[in-house]
Amino acid sequence: MVEEDLLVNPFGWGVLILIATSLILSYRVLFGPTLADRIVGINTVTTKLVVILAIFGFIMKEYFFLDLAIVLLMVNAVGSLILAKYMEGAK
Amino acid sequence: MIEYFFLLLGESIMVFGTLGILRFPDVYTRLHAATKCDTGGAMSILIALTIVSEASPLIRLKFLVLAFLIALINPMISHAIARGAYKHGIKPKVVVDMYAWDNP
Amino acid sequence: MSRVPFYLRERLDDVKQRVLFETYEAQKLPKWEQVVLTWIVLFSFWTIISANVKAENLLIGGLATLVISLFMYEMLTEDIRRSGHILEKILYISFFVIPQYLFIMAFRLIESNFKVAKHAVFMDINPGIVKIKTELHSNTGITILANSITLTPGTLTLDVNKKLGETYLYVHWISVETLNREKAGEKIKGDIEGWLRKIFW
Repeated sequence: MVEEDLLVNPFGWGVLILIATSLILSYRVLFGPTLADRIVGINTVTTKLVVILAIFGFIMKEYFFLDLAIVLLMVNAVGSLILAKYMEGAK
Repeated sequence: MIEYFFLLLGESIMVFGTLGILRFPDVYTRLHAATKCDTGGAMSILIALTIVSEASPLIRLKFLVLAFLIALINPMISHAIARGAYKHGIKPKVVVDMYAWDNP
Repeated sequence: MSRVPFYLRERLDDVKQRVLFETYEAQKLPKWEQVVLTWIVLFSFWTIISANVKAENLLIGGLATLVISLFMYEMLTEDIRRSGHILEKILYISFFVIPQYLFIMAFRLIESNFKVAKHAVFMDINPGIVKIKTELHSNTGITILANSITLTPGTLTLDVNKKLGETYLYVHWISVETLNREKAGEKIKGDIEGWLRKIFW
């Protein structure tokens, strides 16, 4: 049921494109030359994940996914700020 | 029909942002690609979802709140990462660096 | 200013901070207006997030946000200037300033996306870090200005420097066009600073 809906809907193809770009970006997370590159990669992948959650909430008509997306966005903000502050002090 | 235009715009912006993150030479230019393309693409896709969704208007407003929070939080994080990377000691590949003139 | 000895510079910094702080205190909103503004923002956020318009839900949300806004009224509205009646101000902000800002920023954001795509494909970059001066002094105003600069095409804010009552921003520019401080400031800030000066200190 859900698998059929996912590929009939054009937003489902959008989810596939987002997952493909996240997989390509994991190169930057794994082999980034410096620490800052990895943090940029993680931040970008998490923003794409927020969009994927919102699209799933729309396709399955289960709107509590939006609350999960908002919470994930806020956790991402706090985590990235802590990582940036850590990087500022570390040598 | 216009929601598919917004969806296509958002997806292509995300793809070009990924290309930019892979190809740019140092952290600061990569942050340009990450921040702008993520914010623009995510807001575009969320506006498309707001238009096409059939839920009640309060739930549709939640998509707009999500887009507003992304637009508020993403530039702030990029600012924090850029400042942290400079203090960490990563030298930018630039033609002029006025920040190093004032903070020797 | 760079020839002044160090201890004198510190004294000057102190005096200037005090003068600026007094003019700022004189322009502040009254307390109940701050509470009302904070309550409106928090209550609309509660209503949208809970997505439920039953009477008891609205009652609980109104009471909780009222208690929170009685304690935290300084956080959101500390830097807003005083001008005119509060109702006039709310209508002016919500129907004139915010739509204008959103309309212009949407087009700047799309333009910056296409510009990043162009730079990513052709790699014609010429990056540099320049220093510009801004007229804003409040924390909220500087934050919104820095975020707007980050979203406009080709620029990214690196750091903020407040010295002697003047505020400087360090901006990473992906294709440097000029090194003159005034010309660079005009090109980078655009009209955004003028709008922010209407509301914030």
